[in-house]
Amino acid sequence: MIGALKNKLVLFGACITTVLVLAVVIGPWVSPYSATEADFMALLAPPSLSHPFGTDSFGRDVLTRILYGARVSLVVSVSGVLAAALIGTAAGMASAYFGGFGSSVMMRLSDLLFSFPSFVLALFMMVVLGYGVANIAVAIALIYIPIFARLSRNMALLVKDEPWVQAAILLGQPTRSILLREILPNIAAPIFVQIALGIAFGIVIEAGLSFLGLGVQPPAPSLGTIMADGREYFQRAPWVLTLSGVAVSIALLGLNLLSDGLRDVMDPKLRARL
Amino acid sequence: MLVRAPLVARALPRLGAVALLALFGAAAVFFAMRAGHGDPALTVLGDQATPEAIAAFRERWKLNDPVIVQFWRWLSRAVVGDFGVSMTVAGGEPIARLIGLRLPNTLFLGLYALFLAITVSLIAGTVSALRHGRMVDSAATSLAVLGISMPDFWLSYVLVYALALGAGLFPSYGFTPPGESLAGALYSGFLPALAISAPMAAAFTRILRTALLETLYRDHVRVAPSVGYPEGFIFLHHIFRNALIPYVTVIGLQVRYLLGGTVVVERIFGVNGIGTLMVDAAFGRDYPLVQACALTFLAIVLLVNFVVDLICTALDPRQS
Amino acid sequence: MSTGFDGLNRRQALAMMAGAAGATAFPGLSGPALAQAGRLRAGITGFTVINTLDPMKASLIPEYYIMYGIFNALLKFNSKMEIVPDLAESFSTVDSKTLEFKLRKGVKFHDGGDFTADDVKFSLERVADEKNASSNRSKMTPIADIQIADPHTLRIVTKAPFGPLLNYLTNTRTAAQIVSRAAVKAAGDEAFGKKPVGTGRYMLKDWKSNESVELAGFAGAFEGAPKIGSVICPFIAEESSGMTAILGNQIDLTSTAPFADVPTLEKQGTVKVLKQPGLNTRYIALNNKRAPFDDVHFRRAVSMAFDREMLVKAVIFGEGVATPGVLPPAHWAEGKPITSDYLKFNPERAKAELAKSKYKAGQEGVVLIWGSNWWRRIGEIFVGQVNQVLGTKLTIQAMDFNAAFGRAKAGDYDAMVMGWLGLVDPDEYIGEMAGSKGFRNIHFYSSAKMDDLLDKGRAEIDPAKRKLIYREAEQLLAEDMPMLPCFTSNVHNLLRPNLSGFTQLPYSNYGDQFGTCALG
Repeated sequence: MIGALKNKLVLFGACITTVLVLAVVIGPWVSPYSATEADFMALLAPPSLSHPFGTDSFGRDVLTRILYGARVSLVVSVSGVLAAALIGTAAGMASAYFGGFGSSVMMRLSDLLFSFPSFVLALFMMVVLGYGVANIAVAIALIYIPIFARLSRNMALLVKDEPWVQAAILLGQPTRSILLREILPNIAAPIFVQIALGIAFGIVIEAGLSFLGLGVQPPAPSLGTIMADGREYFQRAPWVLTLSGVAVSIALLGLNLLSDGLRDVMDPKLRARL
Repeated sequence: MLVRAPLVARALPRLGAVALLALFGAAAVFFAMRAGHGDPALTVLGDQATPEAIAAFRERWKLNDPVIVQFWRWLSRAVVGDFGVSMTVAGGEPIARLIGLRLPNTLFLGLYALFLAITVSLIAGTVSALRHGRMVDSAATSLAVLGISMPDFWLSYVLVYALALGAGLFPSYGFTPPGESLAGALYSGFLPALAISAPMAAAFTRILRTALLETLYRDHVRVAPSVGYPEGFIFLHHIFRNALIPYVTVIGLQVRYLLGGTVVVERIFGVNGIGTLMVDAAFGRDYPLVQACALTFLAIVLLVNFVVDLICTALDPRQS
Repeated sequence: MSTGFDGLNRRQALAMMAGAAGATAFPGLSGPALAQAGRLRAGITGFTVINTLDPMKASLIPEYYIMYGIFNALLKFNSKMEIVPDLAESFSTVDSKTLEFKLRKGVKFHDGGDFTADDVKFSLERVADEKNASSNRSKMTPIADIQIADPHTLRIVTKAPFGPLLNYLTNTRTAAQIVSRAAVKAAGDEAFGKKPVGTGRYMLKDWKSNESVELAGFAGAFEGAPKIGSVICPFIAEESSGMTAILGNQIDLTSTAPFADVPTLEKQGTVKVLKQPGLNTRYIALNNKRAPFDDVHFRRAVSMAFDREMLVKAVIFGEGVATPGVLPPAHWAEGKPITSDYLKFNPERAKAELAKSKYKAGQEGVVLIWGSNWWRRIGEIFVGQVNQVLGTKLTIQAMDFNAAFGRAKAGDYDAMVMGWLGLVDPDEYIGEMAGSKGFRNIHFYSSAKMDDLLDKGRAEIDPAKRKLIYREAEQLLAEDMPMLPCFTSNVHNLLRPNLSGFTQLPYSNYGDQFGTCALG
C-alpha cells in the first residue's frame, strides 16, 4: 500500500479520480445552471466568467452539462461493466470448477462474442434493441462478459489446484462456499483491475455511440452527446468539442493511472522492485 | 520439422472450429436483426416510399417468407461461398465484390496504424523500461496513458483542424485507395492512421514496458552475466523475447478494434472501409450485407487469433 | 454570435501560407487526395446510398442530383423558376385536358440513338404502369393518353383537367426524365438503372457503390458539350466533413452546408456560399387517431405554445423562414403567408385552448426524432418549449430513419418530426399530406371539405387561381391543425472561389448545372 502511494503517477491518478468523483457528485448541486433547460439568448457563447466552458447550441452551460453528463456516462459504464463482471466471473469460475462439455461450449460462445469488434457490436445492439441509456449498458456488458469470463476462468484454473482448495474439497465444504470463500478472493485482484479499465473503456464506447447519435436520449446529457453537439459547430464554437474532449481525456487519465497503480500494487513481483 | 508437425495437426481442427464459429455468429446476427424494427425497403425508397413500392420491394427480395426459410436460403449459399447481392447498395451489388473493394482500405489503414504504433511503442517502451524510474520513464508513461485516454474521434477533429486546415500539411478529407496509388494512400491516410494509432501506441508501450520490467528482474536473468553472456545478447534473447509474448498478444487483441472500431474515424476522413459498410448496412437493415460483413470480421479475427497463438508458441517453446 | 472564430481567422491566414509551403514540400505526390486538374469534384454531402439511376425507380435525393445531369425532361425551370422548354422546343395548351409539345429535332441519346416522341411516350407510360410500382406513379396516372402525331410532335391528354401537369413534366423530383426506349428494352429494367441512357450533358462513366459516381461529358449533347469533361461525385456521409473537404480544397462544390457554419463561412470568404429559401417544408407530424393529438383543441394549444421564429433562429441559425402552413413561400398566393391566431406563439391563448381540450397539464406524449443533429433539435426545442408553456410532459425518443418511418407507416406514434424536400407542386405538399388518400398523410387526417378543396386545386389549370385555392386549404389546415408546420429551410451550396457557372435553384438541383460550370 505504502509502495503504491509512493509511486507519483498512481498518486496523481488517485487525485484526479477523487476530484472527478467529487465534482460529479457535488458539482451539479452547486451549479446555478440547469443541464437541460435552454437559454436562447446565449447560444454558443464563448467561455467567460459566467460560463467557464461557454454555452452550447441550446444556450446551456457546458460545464454543468459535462458534470451531469459525466454522471450519466459513469453510471452507464459502471453498470455495464459490473454486470459483465458478475456474469462473466460467475461463468468463468463455474467453467473452471465444473469443467465438462457445457463449460467448453460456454467458452466457445464467449470467444465468439469476443471476436466481434467491440464498437461494431455495440452499434449493432443499438440498431437491434433501439437507442437509449439502458441499451448502451447492455452493449457494454456484452462486450466485457467474455473478457471477465476468460480472465476468471484462467485464474480459477490455477487456483483450483492449490493445496488449500483441494483440502477444502476433501473436507466436504459445500461447493458454493468453496467458490465464494476460497477461489474468488484469490482471483479478485486482476478482476478489479479489469473493472477499472472496463469503466474507462465503457466511457469511450458510450461517447462514440452518442457521438453517432445512438446513445442517451435528449435532452439528457452524456459526455458523448455533448461532444456530438460540439462537433457540429466546431468551426463556429470550437470550445464545446475541445473542452468536453479534454474533460473526457482527464477523466479517463485518472481512471487509467489508478488502475495502473492497482495492478502494480497487486503484483508482488513488481512491487518488490518499485 | 519436429515442432511443425504437431502444429499442423492441431491447426486443421482449429480452422474447422473457426469456420463453424463464424457461421454461428452470422446466424446470431441474422436472427438478432430480424428481431429488431426496420425495413430495408425504406432505406432504398426513402421518404417517398408509397405502400405499393414497399410491397413490390418486399416481394422482390422475398422478405415475407418465414424467417427460417430466409435463413436457410442464405446459409445454403453462404457455405459454398456465395454471399449473394446487397439489397440496399446499388440495387443489388454483389456482396463479395463490395467487401472485396472495401476490405483492403480498412486493412491498409489498420496496418498503417499498426506500423506507426509498433514503431513508436518499441522505442518508447524499451527506453522507458531501461530508464525505469527516471524522468524519461515518467514522461513516456504519462504520454502513454494520456494517449489511451483520448477518444479517437476527438483526436481526428483535432488533427484535421490543426494539421490539415490549419497547417495545410495533409488533406482534410478523402482517401486514395492503395490500389490506385500507394503514395497517395500513404499521404491521404496519414491523419486517420495517426488518430487510430495514438491509443494503440500508448497501450503497446505500456505493455512492453511492464513486460520488459518483469523479465528484467527475474532471477535467471540476473544470473546470466555472471555466467559470461554479454549484456546485449542477454537483452535480445532472454528479456526481449519473453516480453514479446504479452506484447504480441495485445497486438493481436487490437485487430478486433482495427476492423470495426475505426468506423467513426473512417466517416470523418471519408475512408470507405468495411466498418462503415457494416454500419451503413445495419442502419439500412440490409440483412445479407450485414451477415456477410459479420462473417468477414469473425473469420479474420479468429484467424488472427490463431496466427498469434502460433507465433507465441513459436516464441516460447515452454508454452504448449 | 461569431466571436469564437477570430482565432481561426488568423489560423486560416497562416494556413494559406503554410498550405502553399506544404504543397511544395511533397512534390512527388499528387497533392490533395481527390485533386485533379480540369475535373469537377462535386461532393454529395449527407448521403451515402444510391440505388438506381432509372427515373422510374429512383426515390432518394442523391439519385436525383445525378440524374439531373444525365437526363432531360420535356420541360425545366429557368433561373427565375419559370417553366421553360427543355427537350420540347415549344408547347401549347390545346384545351383544358390537352397539351401539345413540339420536340427538338436532332437530339441524340448517349448511345447515339435518336430522340423521338416515342421515347417520351415510353418514359411517361412506364412510370404510370402499376406493374413497375414507381414512387412517382401518382404523378402520371392522371394522363389518359399520349398521342404521337409525328416523331417530333405529341399530345398529352389527361383524364380530367390536371393543374400540376406542367410542374410534373419538369426535370425535377418527378420521374419525368426521358429515357431511351431502345436502351431500356435492350438492357432490361434492372440493368438500365445501373447503365442509364439519357440526353443530358453527362454520361455515367463509373459507379463505386456508396463511394462515388463518375460522369463523363457527352460531346453530342443538344445543349452543347459541357465545359468540364469529367465530374466526380464522392458521397460524403457527414455534412461537416463536406465542409472541411471543400475548405481543404479536396472538392470544388458541395450539395449542402451545415446551418451552424453558414454565417462563419460567409464572413470568412474562403468559399462562396449560395443560399435561398428552398422548396421544402419541415413540420411536426401528429397522429390524429390517438391520444393526445386526437383532440383538435389540444393540437391548437400546442401550436400556440411554441415560437416558430425562435425555432428558425435556434435550429437553423436563421437560415430559413417560419411557415404558417406546409407550403413553402414560393407557393404562397401573392407571396403572402396566411395568418391565423392558432399559428402565433401566445402562451395565454395556448393555456386557454388547453382548458377546452380533454387533456390537461401533465399530459404525456412521445415525439419521435431521427436524422441529423439539426433535424432532431427541432423536436427537442419544440418539446422543451411546449412543456414549459403548457406544463405537459412530452418526451423525446430518438431512433434512426428506418425505425422512425416504419412506426409512422404503421401508425404507431404520437408525434414525429417530418419534412419533405425538393417538391415542386403544391399538390405534392398539401395534397399528399392532407388529402385523405395522400401517401404522405401519416396523420390519419380526413376532411371532406379539405378533399374537396384539394380536388379543385388539382383540377384548376390557371396557376394564380390554384394558389388561391391552396391558400384556402392552408387556412382550413390552420383550423384543423392536423400537423404543426414549422419552417422552410434555405438550400445551400458551397463553391470554391474559382468555380463559376453554377446556378442554384430552390428545388435542390445539382447535376443539371455541371454542364455550365467552369473552373477558372
